[in-house]
Amino acid sequence: MITGMDRLVAAINGEKSDRIPVFCNLLDQGAAELGISSLEEYYSNGEHVAEAQLKMREKFGHDNVWSLFYVGKEAELLGCEKIVFSKSGPPNVEDYVIKSYDDIVNLEIPDDIYSHPGFEENLKCLNILKREVGGKQPICAYLTAGITLPAILMGMDKWLELLLMGPTDIRDLLIEKCSDFFQKEIAAFRKAGADVLVYSQPFGSTDILPMRLIKELTLPSMKRDLEPGGMDGMVYYCGSSPFINVIDMMIEKFGFGVFYLSPKDDIAEAKKIINGRALTCGVINDIKLVSWSREEIRAEVKRMLDAGMPGGKFLFGTLVMPYDIPEKNIRAMLEAAYEYGSY
Amino acid sequence: MQTEIIKAYNEAVYDTDRDRAMEVIHAALKQGVTPEEIVFDVVIPAMESMMQAISEDFDANLAQHFMAAQIASQVTEEMIAQFKTPPESLGTIVIGTSVGDMHTLGKRIVSGCLRSMMIDVVDLGVNIKPEDFVDKAVEIDSPVIAISSMMMHTATSENGCQRVREILKERGLEDKIKIVVGGAPYRWDNELYKTVGADAWADNGITAGEVIKKIVMEAKS
Repeated sequence: MITGMDRLVAAINGEKSDRIPVFCNLLDQGAAELGISSLEEYYSNGEHVAEAQLKMREKFGHDNVWSLFYVGKEAELLGCEKIVFSKSGPPNVEDYVIKSYDDIVNLEIPDDIYSHPGFEENLKCLNILKREVGGKQPICAYLTAGITLPAILMGMDKWLELLLMGPTDIRDLLIEKCSDFFQKEIAAFRKAGADVLVYSQPFGSTDILPMRLIKELTLPSMKRDLEPGGMDGMVYYCGSSPFINVIDMMIEKFGFGVFYLSPKDDIAEAKKIINGRALTCGVINDIKLVSWSREEIRAEVKRMLDAGMPGGKFLFGTLVMPYDIPEKNIRAMLEAAYEYGSY
Repeated sequence: MQTEIIKAYNEAVYDTDRDRAMEVIHAALKQGVTPEEIVFDVVIPAMESMMQAISEDFDANLAQHFMAAQIASQVTEEMIAQFKTPPESLGTIVIGTSVGDMHTLGKRIVSGCLRSMMIDVVDLGVNIKPEDFVDKAVEIDSPVIAISSMMMHTATSENGCQRVREILKERGLEDKIKIVVGGAPYRWDNELYKTVGADAWADNGITAGEVIKKIVMEAKS
């Protein structure tokens, strides 16, 4: 039987499997899947997350599972003690680790993330995923880039203020510390069995920073993040921000093998730029999945696949699917991707 | 001269270079331009030209929006302190993030932008209950409640904009107070503002300033 990993490997190698790989990023939906009413309770146990990921993959038939709980988990590893949980959406950092520049000087990066108590549930989850589907379904991990991580440690506006107007020594110290954290975190996820490593780098999009600052600040910090561990399994992703105009630079400087586009990026244009040098993932605007009809969903998936499939090396994906999307719409999207994505 | 100052100031803002923008302003003051002229003939036209450029698909990024608002509000504050007579405020509006939403950047850009255009802003902060939005708007006679939501569930929550709309309706305030929303979910679904019961939305912090100013001016007239 063809597995998700078979499809992904075939796509990376420019070969044809039965169909293109389809990534569907369902996170908070896992709680309802297990009949757990509180997201706080659901995310308190790595076994819940693993079980729900496996159940949802079986149910919908997509080609990936996630070891990500919620993005604020990285802030928890660095001392965040307050996360606000909602009934119908992702948990949010409520109390910032960094409230003053002194906090940056005093910020301590754990030496070993793998054995850190805050990583225990992630590890539990990864062990189960690895045991159940390791080598058969891609196991995804989400890692925030060093220059982006301060946004969840001090808030996006405070980080932009420091980045653009603050003392450069403090700014550079924070980027350095966050990059150290990235290096240790990716080592832990690799050791625990994650094989698709999504490098979340909104500060590598010209929607966020001008190209001048990407070259001056983002690229050096990326070099620091990525050089020690290498590029195996790395996926370039800018949150939902478009990044088509940096693709060429990212291939030349770092050799990224996968580009997980923004729904706003032109898929055909991206493929033209990538020109067979990497895998392109076309990403659907999943907020519209809340309200689109079945026909609208099918038409959008077809449009995306028509643009992305010629020439191969293509994957279909979602952002983090909002909790409000009706299950019938998730099914409609996946059925269309499986149907139009068949070879 | 004024056109040259606006051009030099705008170039510094687009380059996200606060120090250079401040140098342009201080050099203008030395040349005899008054603080009043700096605000009304440089900062406000510069902000309006940026709004116009963004609405015509000028490819501005978040750092530029942030810096444009920060610099404009900083210059305005510095110049107002030197005005011969205090300027008249065009009005006051209320802003905050919806329940469960801790993201502060959007409202900070909007607030900076509005303050530079002589509109006062009462920033209620983050995670604001719907009744608190309405109570404050009534208290200060605000024609606008601006609600920022960066996540889908905080935009569509029953305790977010939808509830603010219900309270305005219950209290018969819909003609007096308009709701403007903004944040990531609205950029991905341009009709979402209607679903949550808002009167208007904006794609980014700078154009939010434009949308809100228009409502404030209509209310004033």
